[in-house]
Amino acid sequence: MARVLVADDASFMRQMIREIVESEGFEVCGEASDGIEAVDQFKKLQPDVVTMDIVMPLKSGIDAVRGIVALDPGARVVMCSALGQETLVAEAIQAGAKDFIVKPFKPDAVVETLKKVLEKED
Amino acid sequence: MDLAKYRQVFIEESTEHLAEMSSALLELEKDFADGEAIDLIFRMAHSIKGMAASLEFDSITQVSHALEDRMQEIRQAGCVADFEELAVLFRGLERLESMVATIRETDETPAPDPALAAVLANRLDESLPAQDAPKKKALPPIL
Repeated sequence: MARVLVADDASFMRQMIREIVESEGFEVCGEASDGIEAVDQFKKLQPDVVTMDIVMPLKSGIDAVRGIVALDPGARVVMCSALGQETLVAEAIQAGAKDFIVKPFKPDAVVETLKKVLEKED
Repeated sequence: MDLAKYRQVFIEESTEHLAEMSSALLELEKDFADGEAIDLIFRMAHSIKGMAASLEFDSITQVSHALEDRMQEIRQAGCVADFEELAVLFRGLERLESMVATIRETDETPAPDPALAAVLANRLDESLPAQDAPKKKALPPIL
């Protein structure tokens, strides 16, 4: 069972992602509500994949990706973006994110993206 | 996915966000270049937009999106331009508060406010009747 770390400053979004991924048999091993916590939780929990919001307090999702990739160059991070954030998504991919999902979330797309990223070789 | 249960989460979380935005706007009133307040309002508007879009509250999505875009422009400028711009931000906040209150109190989807969204997006000519619209001036693109 793949272990997922969910990073988003909105509890609403964390709950929604948790429901989507748990319904497909993933385990949510932790949550983070800002970029600093996301890096700390990654270090502590060593999840198989991270869903990372772009806009978060204290440290942005993009900076959190940089922090995570510095800890583990093979880390699998999927960005959660909104329409209009294409430039930021491109920046996140350059920073080491593997893929992205777009809000509002479509459950099938979320699951498909996570599975695809998990299947990829490092 | 049963979205009905997320409605209450939306009401609670957006109400908290709007209270934080209100405090931040009062800080901005004292200091137009308060970077923390500018960032906070931007993030809160972004967050409300995402939640509202998930629940298909299109009117809230529209206003919060326009507010987010306006805050992004202010972030790039480094400060609020003047009291007129600050008043526009307060209008955006008040409208979002009333829209969330509509959902809380009536369980109905609030009516759209395209005129306010246009004002927030700095498209004044679209917010006024044609005869009152000022001459079109060059404005930055709205993404």
